Amino acid sequence: MNSNLMQFALASASAEGEGVLPLQWLGVFFGCLGLLFFLGTAVGMLRFPDFYTRMHAAGKGDTLSTMLMLIGFALFTMDDFSLSSWLLFVKIMGVVLFIFISTPTSSHALMRAAFEDDEMPMTEEDLKKSKKRRKKK
Amino acid sequence: MSEYFPLIMGVALFVLMIPVVYRIWVGPTGFDRILGVNVIGTKTTVLLVIIGTVYDRVDMFVDFAIAYALLNFVSAIVVSRYLNRTISLKEMEAKEKKAKA
Amino acid sequence: MDTEVPNMVTAVLADYRGFDTMFETVVVFIAGLALLAILKSSSSSKRIKREHEVEAEPDLIVTNTVRLIVPVIQIFAFYVLAHGHVSPGGGFQGGVLMGASFILVALSWDLDEALARFSLNRCMTVAALGIFIYAGIGLLSMALGGEFLDYAELHKILPVSPEMARYHAMLGVEIGVGFTVAAIMFALYANLSSGGRLRDGL
Repeated sequence: MNSNLMQFALASASAEGEGVLPLQWLGVFFGCLGLLFFLGTAVGMLRFPDFYTRMHAAGKGDTLSTMLMLIGFALFTMDDFSLSSWLLFVKIMGVVLFIFISTPTSSHALMRAAFEDDEMPMTEEDLKKSKKRRKKK
Repeated sequence: MSEYFPLIMGVALFVLMIPVVYRIWVGPTGFDRILGVNVIGTKTTVLLVIIGTVYDRVDMFVDFAIAYALLNFVSAIVVSRYLNRTISLKEMEAKEKKAKA
Repeated sequence: MDTEVPNMVTAVLADYRGFDTMFETVVVFIAGLALLAILKSSSSSKRIKREHEVEAEPDLIVTNTVRLIVPVIQIFAFYVLAHGHVSPGGGFQGGVLMGASFILVALSWDLDEALARFSLNRCMTVAALGIFIYAGIGLLSMALGGEFLDYAELHKILPVSPEMARYHAMLGVEIGVGFTVAAIMFALYANLSSGGRLRDGL
């Protein structure tokens, strides 16, 4: 399977001359997808009304976008299929796995700390109040 | 295209970090600030890999990225543990006001 | 070429300026000793509840994640320590990661749980052992007819060339530095977070 993939990549590289490998295009695609998700995180951090909703945007979007971007770069840096580039690929995948485990855990710990610190989530009444205030203005 | 992709990606990351920095700067509660710091800390691993790609030393910078991810996790656990172990921030402020009065 | 080490920074740090690095390690050790001297004498071992503290149970999700992650951190710390010749890294960085893994255990359960695995006495013994390894390699090269920390003389007892002897001796030195830094990191955390009481810490 490995050698097939390699032949495919090399053949397409020689066909395009100095062009970009299809694997690299896949990496660019993953990177842009990650940026899209990080855009969601940024907008959510900016616009959501209280801490828990912001945590929702940051926890989910941050984990997924970081993982997608790292996968994108793991594919992007895969020039030739030599041993050292495979090692690099495995290392970046290790970072991805680590972030997959650790970021949700730290989000959970922060959420629990906030909840036990009596940080109240925004209720519907609060929302109505703030809307009324905005109308008055 | 191929050589500009990491640079464009890094610049886009920096631009998208601005709202998060705003949240750290303004954040109504302390938790918002911690959350923003945590988000930026996670994104720093990506930035380190990007820097490595730009300088063609990814094998070196990936090690930094792993270490940074580890220490970022430790820092998030430290902060949440500290806030768990102490009374809530509102109570602390109330106590300080009492002590002043 | 004096040495076979590809990473110039590590070569300069641990070989050409080995004396400097040795006393940096000693400084780290003295910092730990000073902390012990100040906090141990001033604190009673009785339980004093500070007024802003509340009880907190260890979190199930955090403890289970830490159970998964701590072995990875420790293996990565050994990798950073041993791979310092080729890529950036070395004793200080590996030691910090190793200490961070113990701090993580202390944070997610509590301080007693971490001290049961790595007690303060053992901490200070390991820290002293690190300096002993460093100075021992220096003295060994002195005994073999060179100068203090002149690793090339070690090729008389190691079955390698003088350049490779420097390489291997540098690994031993890095291990010594890593021991000291890891142990002192954890000792500093354990003392500072609990005010020298070594219980009910952060």
